[in-house]
Amino acid sequence: MGIAIEDLTVTFKNQVTAIDHANLEIPKGIFGLLGENGAGKTTLMRVLTTVLSPTSGIVTLDGMLYCEGNYEKIQRKIGYLPQEIDLYPSLTVQECLEYMGDLSGISKKTCKERIGYYLEKTSLSEHRKKKIKQLSGGMKRRVGLVQALLNEPEFLIVDEPTTGLDPEERIRIRNLLVDFSEGRTVLFSTHVLEDLAATCNQLAVMKRGHFLYAGSMLELLEYAKGIVWDFVTTDSVQARELEKKYLISAKQYTENGIQMRILSKEKPDVDCKPDNAMLEDAYIYLTNQ
Amino acid sequence: MKHEMKISLPFYKISYAVFFTVMLSLVRGVTYSDEVGIALEAPMAILAASFCADTYTQEITSKRSEIQRLCPMKKRMYCIYRRIVIQEIFLLSVAVIGYGLFFLFQNPRVLYIDPNISENETCQFFIYFAAIAVTLAFWGLLSNLISCLFRNMWMGIGGCLILWLITNSSVGDRYLGAWNLFSYTFRDTENGSDFSWICGKIVCMCIGTIMVAILPKIIEKRG
Repeated sequence: MGIAIEDLTVTFKNQVTAIDHANLEIPKGIFGLLGENGAGKTTLMRVLTTVLSPTSGIVTLDGMLYCEGNYEKIQRKIGYLPQEIDLYPSLTVQECLEYMGDLSGISKKTCKERIGYYLEKTSLSEHRKKKIKQLSGGMKRRVGLVQALLNEPEFLIVDEPTTGLDPEERIRIRNLLVDFSEGRTVLFSTHVLEDLAATCNQLAVMKRGHFLYAGSMLELLEYAKGIVWDFVTTDSVQARELEKKYLISAKQYTENGIQMRILSKEKPDVDCKPDNAMLEDAYIYLTNQ
Repeated sequence: MKHEMKISLPFYKISYAVFFTVMLSLVRGVTYSDEVGIALEAPMAILAASFCADTYTQEITSKRSEIQRLCPMKKRMYCIYRRIVIQEIFLLSVAVIGYGLFFLFQNPRVLYIDPNISENETCQFFIYFAAIAVTLAFWGLLSNLISCLFRNMWMGIGGCLILWLITNSSVGDRYLGAWNLFSYTFRDTENGSDFSWICGKIVCMCIGTIMVAILPKIIEKRG
Protein backbone atom coordinates (compact mmCIF):
# COMPACT_ATOMS: atom_id res chain seq x y z
CA MET A 1 0.00 0.00 0.00
CA GLY A 2 0.98 3.65 -0.04
CA ILE A 3 0.08 6.30 -2.58
CA ALA A 4 -0.93 5.53 -6.13
CA ILE A 5 -1.20 8.23 -8.79
CA GLU A 6 -2.78 7.36 -12.12
CA ASP A 7 -2.89 9.66 -15.12
CA LEU A 8 -2.84 12.75 -12.91
CA THR A 9 -3.24 16.12 -14.62
CA VAL A 10 -3.38 19.52 -12.96
CA THR A 11 -4.16 22.50 -15.16
CA PHE A 12 -4.53 25.94 -13.64
CA LYS A 13 -7.06 28.59 -14.65
CA ASN A 14 -4.40 30.33 -16.74
CA GLN A 15 -4.15 27.11 -18.80
CA VAL A 16 -0.69 26.25 -17.41
CA THR A 17 -0.39 22.49 -16.97
CA ALA A 18 1.69 21.86 -13.87
CA ILE A 19 1.30 18.06 -13.93
CA ASP A 20 0.66 16.30 -17.21
CA HIS A 21 -0.75 12.77 -17.19
CA ALA A 22 1.61 11.58 -14.48
CA ASN A 23 1.71 8.07 -13.02
CA LEU A 24 3.51 7.17 -9.82
CA GLU A 25 3.48 4.68 -6.95
CA ILE A 26 4.85 5.79 -3.61
CA PRO A 27 5.49 2.81 -1.33
CA LYS A 28 6.08 2.78 2.43
CA GLY A 29 9.37 4.27 3.56
CA ILE A 30 11.08 7.47 2.47
CA PHE A 31 10.42 8.39 -1.13
CA GLY A 32 12.51 11.16 -2.66
CA LEU A 33 11.13 13.73 -5.03
CA LEU A 34 13.55 15.58 -7.22
CA GLY A 35 13.14 18.16 -9.92
CA GLU A 36 14.13 21.60 -11.08
CA ASN A 37 12.20 24.68 -9.94
CA GLY A 38 8.78 24.72 -11.60
CA ALA A 39 8.86 20.99 -12.36
CA GLY A 40 5.52 20.45 -10.57
CA LYS A 41 6.76 19.03 -7.26
CA THR A 42 4.91 21.51 -5.07
CA THR A 43 1.75 21.14 -7.16
CA LEU A 44 1.95 17.38 -6.68
CA MET A 45 2.35 17.82 -2.94
CA ARG A 46 -0.58 20.24 -2.84
CA VAL A 47 -2.71 17.61 -4.57
CA LEU A 48 -1.58 14.95 -2.13
CA THR A 49 -2.42 17.18 0.83
CA THR A 50 -5.89 17.86 -0.69
CA VAL A 51 -5.13 21.58 -0.94
CA LEU A 52 -5.56 21.33 -4.70
CA SER A 53 -8.04 19.20 -6.61
CA PRO A 54 -6.67 17.48 -9.72
CA THR A 55 -8.10 18.38 -13.11
CA SER A 56 -8.20 14.70 -13.99
CA GLY A 57 -6.71 11.42 -12.86
CA ILE A 58 -6.92 9.20 -9.82
CA VAL A 59 -5.02 9.43 -6.55
CA THR A 60 -5.39 6.91 -3.74
CA LEU A 61 -3.89 6.72 -0.26
CA ASP A 62 -3.79 3.18 1.13
CA GLY A 63 -6.55 2.34 -1.33
CA MET A 64 -8.68 5.33 -0.31
CA LEU A 65 -9.68 7.45 -3.29
CA TYR A 66 -9.01 11.19 -3.21
CA CYS A 67 -12.51 12.67 -3.52
CA GLU A 68 -14.56 15.24 -1.59
CA GLY A 69 -16.23 12.55 0.47
CA ASN A 70 -12.92 11.05 1.61
CA TYR A 71 -10.95 14.27 2.11
CA GLU A 72 -11.62 14.45 5.84
CA LYS A 73 -10.42 10.88 6.43
CA ILE A 74 -7.37 11.42 4.19
CA GLN A 75 -6.48 14.72 5.86
CA ARG A 76 -6.34 13.00 9.25
CA LYS A 77 -3.64 10.68 7.90
CA ILE A 78 -1.41 13.43 6.55
CA GLY A 79 1.32 15.61 8.03
CA TYR A 80 2.67 18.42 5.88
CA LEU A 81 5.59 20.80 5.96
CA PRO A 82 5.22 23.33 3.12
CA GLN A 83 8.21 24.89 1.44
CA GLU A 84 7.43 28.29 2.89
CA ILE A 85 5.66 28.75 6.16
CA ASP A 86 5.59 31.52 8.75
CA LEU A 87 4.54 30.15 12.07
CA TYR A 88 2.92 32.42 14.66
CA PRO A 89 5.63 35.03 15.37
CA SER A 90 4.20 36.19 18.69
CA LEU A 91 3.96 32.70 20.20
CA THR A 92 6.78 30.76 21.79
CA VAL A 93 7.91 27.46 20.24
CA GLN A 94 6.02 25.50 22.93
CA GLU A 95 2.87 27.62 22.59
CA CYS A 96 2.94 27.43 18.81
CA LEU A 97 3.20 23.66 18.80
CA GLU A 98 0.53 23.31 21.50
CA TYR A 99 -1.74 25.51 19.42
CA MET A 100 -1.13 23.52 16.23
CA GLY A 101 -1.58 20.27 18.13
CA ASP A 102 -4.87 21.48 19.56
CA LEU A 103 -6.01 22.43 16.05
CA SER A 104 -5.18 18.92 14.86
CA GLY A 105 -7.36 17.52 17.61
CA ILE A 106 -4.58 15.91 19.65
CA SER A 107 -5.31 15.62 23.37
CA LYS A 108 -3.34 18.06 25.56
CA LYS A 109 -1.44 15.36 27.43
CA THR A 110 -0.38 13.47 24.29
CA CYS A 111 0.47 16.73 22.58
CA LYS A 112 2.79 17.84 25.40
CA GLU A 113 4.53 14.47 25.40
CA ARG A 114 5.05 14.51 21.66
CA ILE A 115 6.24 18.14 21.68
CA GLY A 116 8.83 17.23 24.32
CA TYR A 117 9.97 14.21 22.34
CA TYR A 118 10.28 15.90 18.97
CA LEU A 119 11.83 19.08 20.36
CA GLU A 120 14.49 16.85 21.89
CA LYS A 121 14.97 15.04 18.59
CA THR A 122 15.36 18.31 16.69
CA SER A 123 17.62 19.95 19.33
CA LEU A 124 15.05 22.61 20.07
CA SER A 125 14.34 21.81 23.72
CA GLU A 126 16.41 24.71 25.01
CA HIS A 127 14.60 27.10 22.66
CA ARG A 128 11.06 26.07 23.60
CA LYS A 129 10.43 29.33 25.48
CA LYS A 130 11.75 31.53 22.68
CA LYS A 131 9.28 33.35 20.48
CA ILE A 132 9.09 32.14 16.88
CA LYS A 133 10.19 35.58 15.65
CA GLN A 134 13.40 35.21 17.67
CA LEU A 135 14.41 31.97 15.93
CA SER A 136 16.83 31.58 13.05
CA GLY A 137 15.60 30.29 9.67
CA GLY A 138 16.89 26.78 10.37
CA MET A 139 15.19 26.66 13.77
CA LYS A 140 11.90 27.81 12.28
CA ARG A 141 12.22 25.04 9.72
CA ARG A 142 12.69 22.50 12.49
CA VAL A 143 9.66 23.80 14.38
CA GLY A 144 7.72 23.46 11.12
CA LEU A 145 8.84 19.87 10.85
CA VAL A 146 7.81 19.15 14.45
CA GLN A 147 4.31 20.47 13.77
CA ALA A 148 4.08 18.11 10.77
CA LEU A 149 5.06 15.15 12.95
CA LEU A 150 2.81 16.02 15.91
CA ASN A 151 -0.22 13.97 14.85
CA GLU A 152 2.11 11.09 13.93
CA PRO A 153 0.69 10.89 10.39
CA GLU A 154 0.67 7.77 8.26
CA PHE A 155 1.72 9.87 5.29
CA LEU A 156 4.22 12.67 5.83
CA ILE A 157 4.95 15.20 3.11
CA VAL A 158 7.99 17.39 3.63
CA ASP A 159 9.01 20.04 1.17
CA GLU A 160 12.69 20.90 1.58
CA PRO A 161 12.88 20.24 5.32
CA THR A 162 16.64 20.68 5.51
CA THR A 163 16.81 24.16 3.96
CA GLY A 164 18.86 26.51 6.11
CA LEU A 165 20.15 23.81 8.45
CA ASP A 166 23.79 23.33 9.34
CA PRO A 167 25.38 19.98 8.36
CA GLU A 168 25.01 18.46 11.82
CA GLU A 169 21.35 19.41 12.04
CA ARG A 170 20.70 18.14 8.55
CA ILE A 171 22.00 14.73 9.57
CA ARG A 172 19.81 14.79 12.70
CA ILE A 173 16.72 15.67 10.69
CA ARG A 174 17.50 13.04 8.10
CA ASN A 175 17.86 10.41 10.80
CA LEU A 176 14.64 11.57 12.42
CA LEU A 177 12.81 11.16 9.10
CA VAL A 178 14.31 7.73 8.57
CA ASP A 179 13.18 6.62 12.05
CA PHE A 180 9.77 8.15 11.50
CA SER A 181 9.31 6.41 8.14
CA GLU A 182 9.16 2.96 9.72
CA GLY A 183 5.78 1.58 8.66
CA ARG A 184 4.82 4.94 7.20
CA THR A 185 5.18 6.80 3.93
CA VAL A 186 7.37 9.91 3.81
CA LEU A 187 7.51 12.00 0.65
CA PHE A 188 10.75 13.93 0.84
CA SER A 189 11.16 16.74 -1.67
CA THR A 190 14.51 18.46 -1.77
CA HIS A 191 17.18 19.93 -3.99
CA VAL A 192 19.91 18.59 -1.73
CA LEU A 193 20.81 15.32 -3.45
CA GLU A 194 23.07 14.37 -0.58
CA ASP A 195 20.02 14.22 1.68
CA LEU A 196 18.19 11.90 -0.69
CA ALA A 197 21.24 9.70 -1.18
CA ALA A 198 21.47 9.32 2.60
CA THR A 199 17.80 8.56 3.25
CA CYS A 200 15.90 7.16 0.28
CA ASN A 201 15.84 3.88 -1.56
CA GLN A 202 13.18 5.03 -3.95
CA LEU A 203 12.83 8.32 -5.75
CA ALA A 204 11.16 10.09 -8.63
CA VAL A 205 12.51 12.83 -10.86
CA MET A 206 10.12 15.42 -12.26
CA LYS A 207 10.50 17.77 -15.16
CA ARG A 208 7.82 20.03 -16.63
CA GLY A 209 4.97 18.09 -15.07
CA HIS A 210 6.22 14.65 -16.09
CA PHE A 211 8.07 11.94 -14.21
CA LEU A 212 11.35 11.38 -16.00
CA TYR A 213 12.22 8.59 -13.63
CA ALA A 214 10.57 6.68 -10.82
CA GLY A 215 12.28 3.75 -9.18
CA SER A 216 15.14 2.77 -6.98
CA MET A 217 18.22 4.82 -6.32
CA LEU A 218 20.45 1.94 -7.41
CA GLU A 219 18.71 1.65 -10.77
CA LEU A 220 19.15 5.35 -11.34
CA LEU A 221 22.85 5.06 -10.55
CA GLU A 222 23.01 2.03 -12.84
CA TYR A 223 21.42 4.13 -15.57
CA ALA A 224 24.26 6.61 -15.24
CA LYS A 225 26.96 3.96 -15.17
CA GLY A 226 29.74 4.58 -17.69
CA ILE A 227 28.79 8.17 -18.49
CA VAL A 228 31.09 9.94 -16.03
CA TRP A 229 34.58 11.00 -17.15
CA ASP A 230 37.20 12.81 -15.14
CA PHE A 231 39.37 15.23 -17.02
CA VAL A 232 42.12 17.62 -15.91
CA THR A 233 43.48 20.42 -18.07
CA THR A 234 45.56 23.54 -17.62
CA ASP A 235 44.13 25.07 -20.78
CA SER A 236 41.13 27.26 -19.91
CA VAL A 237 40.14 27.61 -23.57
CA GLN A 238 39.90 23.85 -23.90
CA ALA A 239 37.85 23.73 -20.68
CA ARG A 240 35.41 26.29 -22.08
CA GLU A 241 35.07 24.36 -25.32
CA LEU A 242 34.33 21.16 -23.42
CA GLU A 243 31.68 22.98 -21.40
CA LYS A 244 29.97 23.97 -24.65
CA LYS A 245 30.17 20.45 -26.07
CA TYR A 246 29.36 18.25 -23.03
CA LEU A 247 27.35 18.24 -19.86
CA ILE A 248 29.61 19.09 -16.95
CA SER A 249 28.46 18.05 -13.49
CA ALA A 250 31.46 19.50 -11.60
CA LYS A 251 34.31 21.89 -12.27
CA GLN A 252 37.09 22.68 -9.85
CA TYR A 253 40.35 24.63 -9.92
CA THR A 254 43.08 22.42 -8.42
CA GLU A 255 46.87 22.49 -8.18
CA ASN A 256 47.02 20.29 -11.30
CA GLY A 257 44.73 22.53 -13.30
CA ILE A 258 41.02 22.62 -14.04
CA GLN A 259 39.40 19.36 -12.98
CA MET A 260 36.14 18.56 -14.76
CA ARG A 261 33.49 15.87 -14.48
CA ILE A 262 32.12 15.25 -17.96
CA LEU A 263 28.84 13.41 -18.54
CA SER A 264 28.76 11.61 -21.86
CA LYS A 265 27.65 8.25 -23.15
CA GLU A 266 30.62 8.16 -25.55
CA LYS A 267 34.15 8.74 -24.35
CA PRO A 268 34.97 12.43 -24.91
CA ASP A 269 37.70 13.09 -27.46
CA VAL A 270 40.16 14.16 -24.76
CA ASP A 271 42.45 12.24 -22.44
CA CYS A 272 39.99 11.43 -19.63
CA LYS A 273 39.36 8.61 -17.17
CA PRO A 274 36.03 6.92 -16.38
CA ASP A 275 34.65 7.44 -12.88
CA ASN A 276 31.78 6.07 -10.79
CA ALA A 277 28.48 7.88 -11.18
CA MET A 278 26.98 9.68 -8.21
CA LEU A 279 23.34 10.69 -7.75
CA GLU A 280 24.12 14.21 -8.88
CA ASP A 281 25.64 12.95 -12.13
CA ALA A 282 22.65 10.70 -12.77
CA TYR A 283 20.21 13.52 -12.06
CA ILE A 284 21.98 16.02 -14.33
CA TYR A 285 22.31 13.46 -17.10
CA LEU A 286 18.67 12.38 -16.82
CA THR A 287 17.18 15.87 -16.78
CA ASN A 288 19.29 17.02 -19.72
CA GLN A 289 18.50 14.15 -22.06
CA MET B 1 -7.58 31.34 24.66
CA LYS B 2 -4.23 32.82 25.73
CA HIS B 3 -2.65 31.71 22.44
CA GLU B 4 -5.55 33.10 20.46
CA MET B 5 -5.20 36.46 22.23
CA LYS B 6 -1.52 36.64 21.34
CA ILE B 7 -2.30 35.82 17.71
CA SER B 8 -5.24 38.14 17.21
CA LEU B 9 -4.06 41.06 19.32
CA PRO B 10 -0.47 41.81 18.35
CA PHE B 11 1.10 44.98 19.74
CA TYR B 12 0.86 46.94 16.48
CA LYS B 13 -2.89 46.37 16.24
CA ILE B 14 -3.51 47.39 19.85
CA SER B 15 -1.37 50.50 19.27
CA TYR B 16 -3.11 51.73 16.15
CA ALA B 17 -6.58 51.08 17.56
CA VAL B 18 -5.83 53.03 20.74
CA PHE B 19 -4.04 55.80 18.82
CA PHE B 20 -6.96 56.09 16.40
CA THR B 21 -9.47 56.44 19.24
CA VAL B 22 -7.39 58.94 21.18
CA MET B 23 -6.89 61.05 18.04
CA LEU B 24 -10.58 60.86 17.23
CA SER B 25 -11.55 62.05 20.69
CA LEU B 26 -9.13 64.97 20.32
CA VAL B 27 -9.95 66.15 16.80
CA ARG B 28 -13.65 65.34 16.33
CA GLY B 29 -15.48 68.22 17.99
CA VAL B 30 -18.67 67.62 19.97
CA THR B 31 -20.77 70.21 21.73
CA TYR B 32 -23.38 68.13 23.48
CA SER B 33 -23.01 64.81 25.22
CA ASP B 34 -25.50 63.05 22.94
CA GLU B 35 -23.18 63.73 20.00
CA VAL B 36 -20.40 61.54 21.41
CA GLY B 37 -21.99 58.29 20.22
CA ILE B 38 -22.60 59.81 16.79
CA ALA B 39 -18.98 60.95 16.59
CA LEU B 40 -17.74 57.47 17.44
CA GLU B 41 -19.98 55.01 15.58
CA ALA B 42 -18.90 55.45 11.94
CA PRO B 43 -15.14 55.81 12.58
CA MET B 44 -15.21 52.83 14.94
CA ALA B 45 -16.89 50.81 12.17
CA ILE B 46 -13.95 51.50 9.85
CA LEU B 47 -11.55 50.63 12.68
CA ALA B 48 -13.38 47.31 13.18
CA ALA B 49 -13.26 46.56 9.45
CA SER B 50 -9.51 47.09 9.20
CA PHE B 51 -8.85 45.43 12.56
CA CYS B 52 -10.70 42.20 11.76
CA ALA B 53 -9.81 41.88 8.06
CA ASP B 54 -6.82 39.63 8.75
CA THR B 55 -8.57 37.40 11.32
CA TYR B 56 -8.18 34.47 8.95
CA THR B 57 -6.25 35.86 5.97
CA GLN B 58 -3.11 35.96 8.13
CA GLU B 59 -3.21 32.18 7.84
CA ILE B 60 -3.31 32.44 4.05
CA THR B 61 -0.45 34.95 3.69
CA SER B 62 1.73 32.94 6.06
CA LYS B 63 0.85 29.66 4.23
CA ARG B 64 -0.33 28.21 7.53
CA SER B 65 -3.71 27.67 5.89
CA GLU B 66 -2.17 24.79 3.91
CA ILE B 67 -1.51 23.01 7.20
CA GLN B 68 -4.81 24.09 8.71
CA ARG B 69 -6.64 22.44 5.83
CA LEU B 70 -5.56 19.12 7.32
CA CYS B 71 -7.21 19.99 10.65
CA PRO B 72 -10.84 19.21 11.51
CA MET B 73 -13.19 21.92 10.22
CA LYS B 74 -14.89 22.30 13.61
CA LYS B 75 -11.57 23.09 15.30
CA ARG B 76 -10.64 25.58 12.60
CA MET B 77 -13.95 27.41 12.84
CA TYR B 78 -13.81 27.42 16.63
CA CYS B 79 -10.43 29.16 16.38
CA ILE B 80 -11.72 31.77 13.94
CA TYR B 81 -14.78 32.55 16.04
CA ARG B 82 -12.64 32.77 19.17
CA ARG B 83 -10.40 35.28 17.41
CA ILE B 84 -13.39 37.33 16.29
CA VAL B 85 -14.82 37.38 19.82
CA ILE B 86 -11.45 38.44 21.30
CA GLN B 87 -11.06 41.22 18.75
CA GLU B 88 -14.63 42.42 19.21
CA ILE B 89 -14.24 42.53 23.00
CA PHE B 90 -11.05 44.53 22.58
CA LEU B 91 -12.68 46.94 20.11
CA LEU B 92 -15.66 47.34 22.41
CA SER B 93 -13.33 48.22 25.27
CA VAL B 94 -11.60 50.78 23.06
CA ALA B 95 -14.98 52.20 22.06
CA VAL B 96 -15.94 52.54 25.73
CA ILE B 97 -12.63 54.21 26.54
CA GLY B 98 -13.13 56.48 23.53
CA TYR B 99 -16.52 57.51 24.88
CA GLY B 100 -14.89 58.46 28.16
CA LEU B 101 -12.05 60.30 26.40
CA PHE B 102 -14.54 62.61 24.66
CA PHE B 103 -15.81 63.66 28.09
CA LEU B 104 -12.26 64.00 29.36
CA PHE B 105 -10.87 66.06 26.50
CA GLN B 106 -13.91 68.01 25.32
CA ASN B 107 -16.20 68.19 28.33
CA PRO B 108 -19.40 68.29 26.22
CA ARG B 109 -22.49 70.08 27.51
CA VAL B 110 -25.13 67.92 29.09
CA LEU B 111 -28.61 68.46 27.66
CA TYR B 112 -30.72 67.16 30.47
CA ILE B 113 -31.46 69.79 33.04
CA ASP B 114 -33.25 67.81 35.67
CA PRO B 115 -32.30 66.13 38.95
CA ASN B 116 -31.90 62.73 37.27
CA ILE B 117 -29.09 64.03 35.10
CA SER B 118 -26.60 61.25 35.87
CA GLU B 119 -29.25 58.61 35.29
CA ASN B 120 -29.95 59.99 31.80
CA GLU B 121 -26.28 60.13 30.98
CA THR B 122 -25.87 56.54 32.14
CA CYS B 123 -28.87 55.50 30.07
CA GLN B 124 -27.37 57.31 27.06
CA PHE B 125 -24.09 55.48 27.58
CA PHE B 126 -25.77 52.07 27.71
CA ILE B 127 -27.70 52.81 24.52
CA TYR B 128 -24.39 53.78 22.90
CA PHE B 129 -22.79 50.61 24.28
CA ALA B 130 -25.48 48.38 22.75
CA ALA B 131 -25.42 50.20 19.40
CA ILE B 132 -21.63 50.24 19.08
CA ALA B 133 -21.41 46.56 20.08
CA VAL B 134 -23.69 45.65 17.17
CA THR B 135 -21.86 48.01 14.81
CA LEU B 136 -18.41 46.64 15.70
CA ALA B 137 -19.59 43.04 15.41
CA PHE B 138 -21.20 43.69 12.03
CA TRP B 139 -18.25 45.48 10.41
CA GLY B 140 -15.71 43.08 11.90
CA LEU B 141 -17.61 40.06 10.63
CA LEU B 142 -18.21 41.62 7.23
CA SER B 143 -14.60 42.52 6.63
CA ASN B 144 -13.43 39.06 7.71
CA LEU B 145 -16.03 37.41 5.49
CA ILE B 146 -15.10 39.42 2.37
CA SER B 147 -11.39 38.86 3.09
CA CYS B 148 -11.93 35.10 3.33
CA LEU B 149 -14.02 35.11 0.17
CA PHE B 150 -11.31 36.82 -1.87
CA ARG B 151 -8.41 35.43 0.20
CA ASN B 152 -7.16 38.98 0.58
CA MET B 153 -7.53 41.31 3.57
CA TRP B 154 -7.43 44.43 1.38
CA MET B 155 -10.54 43.24 -0.41
CA GLY B 156 -12.23 43.01 2.97
CA ILE B 157 -11.18 46.51 3.96
CA GLY B 158 -11.98 47.91 0.50
CA GLY B 159 -15.39 46.22 0.33
CA CYS B 160 -16.30 47.54 3.76
CA LEU B 161 -15.10 51.02 2.86
CA ILE B 162 -17.42 51.14 -0.16
CA LEU B 163 -20.40 50.01 1.92
CA TRP B 164 -19.37 52.44 4.66
CA LEU B 165 -19.29 55.36 2.19
CA ILE B 166 -22.74 54.46 0.87
CA THR B 167 -24.45 53.89 4.20
CA ASN B 168 -22.70 56.65 6.10
CA SER B 169 -23.93 59.34 3.74
CA SER B 170 -26.96 61.53 3.28
CA VAL B 171 -27.92 59.29 0.34
CA GLY B 172 -27.82 56.23 2.59
CA ASP B 173 -29.84 58.03 5.22
CA ARG B 174 -32.41 59.24 2.68
CA TYR B 175 -32.98 55.86 1.04
CA LEU B 176 -32.55 53.52 3.99
CA GLY B 177 -33.79 55.70 6.83
CA ALA B 178 -34.25 53.75 10.05
CA TRP B 179 -33.04 50.58 8.31
CA ASN B 180 -29.64 52.09 7.60
CA LEU B 181 -26.63 50.30 9.08
CA PHE B 182 -25.73 53.64 10.70
CA SER B 183 -29.24 54.35 11.94
CA TYR B 184 -27.85 55.18 15.40
CA THR B 185 -25.68 57.93 13.89
CA PHE B 186 -28.58 59.36 11.87
CA ARG B 187 -31.16 59.10 14.66
CA ASP B 188 -33.15 62.11 15.76
CA THR B 189 -31.25 63.19 18.86
CA GLU B 190 -33.84 65.81 19.73
CA ASN B 191 -36.51 63.17 20.10
CA GLY B 192 -35.25 60.95 22.90
CA SER B 193 -38.26 58.66 22.73
CA ASP B 194 -37.61 57.76 19.07
CA PHE B 195 -36.09 54.31 18.98
CA SER B 196 -36.86 53.53 15.35
CA TRP B 197 -33.07 53.44 14.72
CA ILE B 198 -33.08 50.01 16.37
CA CYS B 199 -34.38 48.69 12.99
CA GLY B 200 -30.95 49.43 11.47
CA LYS B 201 -29.24 47.53 14.27
CA ILE B 202 -31.64 44.60 13.80
CA VAL B 203 -30.61 44.57 10.13
CA CYS B 204 -26.96 44.46 11.27
CA MET B 205 -27.70 41.55 13.62
CA CYS B 206 -29.61 39.59 10.98
CA ILE B 207 -26.89 40.04 8.35
CA GLY B 208 -24.28 39.28 11.03
CA THR B 209 -26.03 36.01 11.89
CA ILE B 210 -26.10 35.05 8.21
CA MET B 211 -22.38 35.88 7.93
CA VAL B 212 -21.55 33.68 10.92
CA ALA B 213 -23.52 30.87 9.33
CA ILE B 214 -21.91 31.08 5.88
CA LEU B 215 -18.33 31.66 7.02
CA PRO B 216 -17.61 27.90 7.47
CA LYS B 217 -18.75 27.25 3.88
CA ILE B 218 -16.42 29.96 2.57
CA ILE B 219 -13.48 28.69 4.63
CA GLU B 220 -14.14 25.15 3.43
CA LYS B 221 -14.37 26.15 -0.23
CA ARG B 222 -11.71 28.83 -0.36
CA GLY B 223 -9.33 27.37 2.25
